[in-house]
Amino acid sequence: MLGYYISLALRSLRRTPVLSALMVAAIAVGVGAAMTTLTLNYMMSRNALEHKDDVLYALQLDNWDPHEADDNPSAMPWQVTYKDAISLLRSDIPTHQVAMHRWGGPISLDPSQNSGGEMRPFTAEARVTSRDFFALFDIPFLYGGSWQGDADTSPVQQIVLSESTNNKLFNGENSVGRTVNFSGTPFTVVGVIEHWQPSPKVHDLNNGSFNKSAEIFLPFGLHRSFEIYPWGNTNGWKPEDINSYEDQLGSEYVWIQYWVQLDSDEQRERYREYLTGFIREQKAQGRFPRPLKFGLSKPSEWLQLNEVVDGDDRMLNWLSLAFLLVCLVNAVALLLAKFLRKAAEAGVRRALGASRKAVFSQHLVESGCIGLAGGLIGILLTLAGLALVRQLQMGYLDTVASMDWLMMLSAIGLAILSSLLAGLYPAWRISRTNPSIYLKTQ
Amino acid sequence: MLELRPILSALWRHKISALLIAVQLGLTLAIVGNATVVIQERIERIARPTGVAVTDIVTAQFMPIAKNYDRLEAFRLDLDMIRQLPGVAAATVSRAPLTGGGSGTGLYTAPNQEIGATGGAQFWGDEHLIDALGMKLVAGRAFTPNDITEASFSSGWRPNMAIVTQQLADKLFANGEALGQSIYFSGEDNPIEIVGIVERNLGPWPNSHNAGSTVFFPAVMDTQWFDYVVRAEPGQREAVAKLLEEKLAERDPQRVVAVNLLEDKLDRYYAGDNTMIQVLSGVVSMLTFIVALGIVGLTVFWITQRQKQIGVRRALGASRSAISRYFLLENLMIATTGIVLGTAAAQIFNRFLASEFEQPALPLSTTAICALILFGISLAAALVPALRAANISPAMATRSV
Amino acid sequence: MLKMHNVRKSYRTDTIETHALRDFSLEVNEGEFVSVTGPSGSGKTTFLNIAGLLETPTGGQYLLDGQDVSDLNDRDRSRLRNEKIGFIFQGFNLIPDLDLFDNIDVPLRYRGFNAKERKKRIEKVLEQVGLSARARHLPAQLSGGQQQRVAIARALAGEPRFLLADEPTGNLDSLMARQVMELLEFINEWGTTIVMVTHDPDLARRAHRNIQIVDGQVADLRLQSALGEAVTA
Ligand SMILES: Nc1ncnc2c1ncn2[C@@H]1O[C@H](COP(=O)(O)OP(=O)(O)O)[C@@H](O)[C@H]1O
Ligand SMILES: [Mg+2]
Repeated sequence: MLGYYISLALRSLRRTPVLSALMVAAIAVGVGAAMTTLTLNYMMSRNALEHKDDVLYALQLDNWDPHEADDNPSAMPWQVTYKDAISLLRSDIPTHQVAMHRWGGPISLDPSQNSGGEMRPFTAEARVTSRDFFALFDIPFLYGGSWQGDADTSPVQQIVLSESTNNKLFNGENSVGRTVNFSGTPFTVVGVIEHWQPSPKVHDLNNGSFNKSAEIFLPFGLHRSFEIYPWGNTNGWKPEDINSYEDQLGSEYVWIQYWVQLDSDEQRERYREYLTGFIREQKAQGRFPRPLKFGLSKPSEWLQLNEVVDGDDRMLNWLSLAFLLVCLVNAVALLLAKFLRKAAEAGVRRALGASRKAVFSQHLVESGCIGLAGGLIGILLTLAGLALVRQLQMGYLDTVASMDWLMMLSAIGLAILSSLLAGLYPAWRISRTNPSIYLKTQ
Repeated sequence: MLELRPILSALWRHKISALLIAVQLGLTLAIVGNATVVIQERIERIARPTGVAVTDIVTAQFMPIAKNYDRLEAFRLDLDMIRQLPGVAAATVSRAPLTGGGSGTGLYTAPNQEIGATGGAQFWGDEHLIDALGMKLVAGRAFTPNDITEASFSSGWRPNMAIVTQQLADKLFANGEALGQSIYFSGEDNPIEIVGIVERNLGPWPNSHNAGSTVFFPAVMDTQWFDYVVRAEPGQREAVAKLLEEKLAERDPQRVVAVNLLEDKLDRYYAGDNTMIQVLSGVVSMLTFIVALGIVGLTVFWITQRQKQIGVRRALGASRSAISRYFLLENLMIATTGIVLGTAAAQIFNRFLASEFEQPALPLSTTAICALILFGISLAAALVPALRAANISPAMATRSV
Repeated sequence: MLKMHNVRKSYRTDTIETHALRDFSLEVNEGEFVSVTGPSGSGKTTFLNIAGLLETPTGGQYLLDGQDVSDLNDRDRSRLRNEKIGFIFQGFNLIPDLDLFDNIDVPLRYRGFNAKERKKRIEKVLEQVGLSARARHLPAQLSGGQQQRVAIARALAGEPRFLLADEPTGNLDSLMARQVMELLEFINEWGTTIVMVTHDPDLARRAHRNIQIVDGQVADLRLQSALGEAVTA
């Protein structure tokens, strides 16, 4: 019977091409608008660390101003101080832990290998991090591995390259053991990681949630020898005399991002106790003037807390749903008009033995066909919408303004669902009308 | 002759269809009204004067390849070279404003205070700063070469004078006499005299609620975070940008150089707002279009359905204009219902957006203008089919359908 | 075959209540050809609609083939209508968007026949009404008489045992009317029970039995035969 209904639907649509085109267009535009924003919001709220959501935690310590809490939803600074990071790294409770921040500098091949000088130096986006970074975030190595054990505390000149940097510098060959020149200093390549671009960049939400992730990775022990100031936010609340780099490292400025991996409840409990003890100790030395408070947020909670999907995005979401609603009301009105015009035919069908259900189904199938057509065109409109967003956002949203299969299917689903919803009332209306009225001649 | 009663009773028989159009118009008004205030607010925000010669400024940074590099020396040599370049009006080393990156500080009007700071964005620059940014000095003086110190963040240096924007001056000294007064950093007693006031500078973050409160200190800072701010003669910026790239690399090839137009950076900063404007404008126009099409479709449909009836009316003596008028009046009544519904819906929607997403309030005047436009569109959409209805021949009455 | 006992049907509008049928009792036997006459507005169409399960009576009892159909649900009523009953209307009521073949196909679809069976039946009834050559024409391309023959073919395609016709010749000239009548008589001879509403006394007389409806009730038989004679005279 479904086949029969579909052929009837197509015939009916062909009979009123303009009205049908209007309905398809209305649904397509509604779906296109809704799916564009839904896709953006969906892509923006993805969690690249989903598979470790139960064991990874972003750490916050409240070392802030006694007079007022830090001005963000968590009421604690997002990052920790250098000196706290160094102390925390000594704990052996977490399975893995990472202290890190964003940095960068000019990189080039070692002059001895850059014989023709054909490779111009370029500025590489760097992540200065303790060595567990790769293990904690589950980043597979293409070649080699992380740097040696003491690199977290002493200035070891070893470097890990991203796949694209390795392609750029070494044409994708296994470069482990080769030397590159970073900021005028030779570094030995110890590893090359596979392409890794979480989006949103959950491990570093301070520096543009959708920016590219780092091109090179450098050991955490380099700070003093390079006098590293981070490329990222440094926040402070306390007036401090900073007269040397050592003062910067010992200050209350927060600029280090800190993550831990805690696998069991027992481990988590112990780590909480450890943090409590740590803060108490610091309080005894006159630091941490606020009430004792720290934060351990799972990746999913971290994304929420950092409001990766910002107010504008969420507002557009609501707006586009309202838009879809208007398109639906439009479709209901047009479908109602179309179906009621065919009421006489429905009356004849009823006289010839069609049950109410049959008449209802037939018209619902017709709405479904409109929805399917609308959905397919809606996908095209969504792709166009996303392309527009990419262009308007000047590259900032390239990683999220794209559609995956799930979203394409959702688009078709949304279109059919919408049109079935839109068709529900008109189809019900026509299946309820009394057939005998339409069978009379006058 | 207004025949409202028969129209109303006919509409009553088609009440669901009529209501659907009204609801559609109402929802559209709610969306369009709210989108309009958001668009308006963003356009105004982007169009604000920045206080800076945005369209003439080129910025340049470099990153030295060597580890221990004498940046201050490079600044001196580069700036000497840049100021000689053709097309360059003025140049300094500071940080370019309006780019989304910079630093802020808290200022006090008395020494040794820690609570109740007035927030401001801070910049450092030499005696060319005001000229290079194209700012307008409204009181006091610019920095002179003697005022400038070479310093770094870890050197413990404190300024003894500052130039502030009019906005910051007014915030610090409500009596309007900021010039010559002293300001202080948090918990310090080192007085910083305000020697000059510039008309305006939106600072590093034009979208922050504090944008426009900006303070300038007389120093050349030895930091990674610097820009050569180069103001080109009008119309020369592309040429200057190209020259800069060339000459900076030429003077010292052992560094990575990046040259940008300030306007590009500002565009990038406003990309989110621009997206909002474009997307919302798109939504508004598409929505209006869809609703108009819907009205056309339904009016055409109703008219075809009532062809015979119209023929009978014509046969019984109704004039053409009476027929058109009938359908236009019908549309008018539906539109009025829709607009009334929509005005209420717009306010409700606006409350929601304002409380959830900090969007601006929707003034009644904006609603009224949007309502009027929608009203016009709705009538225009009904006009063509209504005029066509008048062309239906009275012979339609005798033909069987 | 059909048995109505004290069937009542009233229509309520905002202001008034119309009693279209009042204590309407009638029996039609298997194989009969009954004609129904009566003044306009007397309830003839209402009677056919109830007989054909298009409308439900307000009260009384209706047995179709001995089965009480007064309180069947929509699905069962639709199935009975589809299997046992064929309709022919004064206004033909062909579906304008469908060609002849597809029009006749409609009841067979709802019966659930497979494609082969449907095709066989459609071709057979088109043959019977002499329109085989026009299978792919649209109703608008046919004359009134031809349209009514298609409507009859559509009613016959499901091989109903009970055919209800509401002024089937009302829109036709006398020649066409006679052709349609002959077709109905032919069908009746093959065993189909027919109830036909008509205004044409000649046609009414050609039926086995004529009943007259006046004011929602079957008129007195004597009065009816007297009237019949008066018409003849
Ligand atoms: N749907 C209806 N609503 C109200 N009254 C109706 C309806 N259908 C028929 N009637 C009334 O019922 C009576 C019988 O109508 P009908 O059976 O159509 O008469 P006819 O004998 O001419 O076929 C008439 O008075 C008619 O006005
Ligand atoms: Mg009748």
